[in-house]
Amino acid sequence: MMSMRTVLTRRTLATVAGKATPVAPRLKTFKIYRWNPDKPAEKPKLEDYQVDLNECGPMVLDALIKIKDEQDPTLTFRRSCREGICGSCAMNIGGRNTLACLCKIDQNESKNLKIYPLPHMYIVRDLVPDLTNFYQQYKSIKPFLQRKSYPEDGKEVLQSIEDRKKLDGLYECILCACCSTSCPSYWWNQEEYLGPSVLLQAFRWLIDSRDQAGDERRQMLQNSMSLYRCHTIMNCTKTCPKGLNPGKAIAEIKKQMAFT
Amino acid sequence: MFVKSRPFSVSAARFITPTISRSFQTTAKRSLTIPFLPVLPQKPGGVMGTPNDPYTPPAVHKFEGSIHWWIEKTFAVTTLPLVTAATLSSGPLSTVSDSILSVALLGYCYMEFQSCIADYITARVYGKWHNYAMYLLGAGSLVSLFGIYKLETENDGITGLVRGLWKADTPKPVQDEVKK
Repeated sequence: MMSMRTVLTRRTLATVAGKATPVAPRLKTFKIYRWNPDKPAEKPKLEDYQVDLNECGPMVLDALIKIKDEQDPTLTFRRSCREGICGSCAMNIGGRNTLACLCKIDQNESKNLKIYPLPHMYIVRDLVPDLTNFYQQYKSIKPFLQRKSYPEDGKEVLQSIEDRKKLDGLYECILCACCSTSCPSYWWNQEEYLGPSVLLQAFRWLIDSRDQAGDERRQMLQNSMSLYRCHTIMNCTKTCPKGLNPGKAIAEIKKQMAFT
Repeated sequence: MFVKSRPFSVSAARFITPTISRSFQTTAKRSLTIPFLPVLPQKPGGVMGTPNDPYTPPAVHKFEGSIHWWIEKTFAVTTLPLVTAATLSSGPLSTVSDSILSVALLGYCYMEFQSCIADYITARVYGKWHNYAMYLLGAGSLVSLFGIYKLETENDGITGLVRGLWKADTPKPVQDEVKK
């Protein structure tokens, strides 16, 4: 692990050293939300870090990792894949919920960049929100194929190309919670309202031609809170770092609920 | 030999009292609640049961869900042609269509206020105050219904009322004054 990291560092440095003349550092200030659970009485604060953009990768996650490595090892955030497929590094960057690994640093170093955790969540530490409730909600929609009968020949449950196409724009969701935590309705009622992310997933299973539990899935949403707290504010669609449309998925669920 | 320890699961960790008191950081509740209404205690993080339990949806309600959606849309769609007709025509609408318009408008307002109460005065946070808000809304709507009855029987109806905002008849005492 250590050796791999050394190799990585050396390669990064070599890339930078490849430039002929030393250039003046381009220091950009990152204001990052800090809160330490070991000192709960202390109020959360924004802490300033200066990062030289010449020696930093292009994405906000690169800057965060650089700060953690070189300046402050106590800075806490989730990250894993660094390519927008795991959804760990969801946070509020410059006022927008997005993935730190997909968000480019504004190269204008005279401007600060403010980084907060996902809004209206319970914060475990620094940029780490508590997503237990979110995962409980995901679990409740039973995100797996449910069938009452299987094909006679005992082989695969097949799906036509057209039916598979219905899942496009839904299966790409990585459950990063950016959309849910951008939704004012979810801010007020996240204990009961499922939120755009989980509802998009619910629709992904409702629209799947191989799933046979549609009635049960719809029945679960027949109350005022779980689904109908969506007021088509559309923050979800605006913020989605994967470019999906949870707002439309929710509208489709409402349509299904009304006409089946 | 091995000491048999109590089985310890990740889910239990949340509920074991830690030696240092640790908690979540969250926005102060006073900035998210209505100041003069008492609130019920809430679970930290909105987590019910252990972290491995799924969310339990509220019970299915006769007048909630897709039925509520249908009624709401019916009211909304009913008002649309009537409002258009009233805007385009010169005289007040007939009493029947005016009554339909007023009742549909009232119904739509009732449902939207219901939505506001469900959003901001939830039973989860305010308990019985949620019901009181609903009763108040119901009572207000009944009074409005009576008002609509008065408007339709004794006046020009809702369209006449709105028209009056621009072109009202001069009140009788003023007319008398002018004549003098």
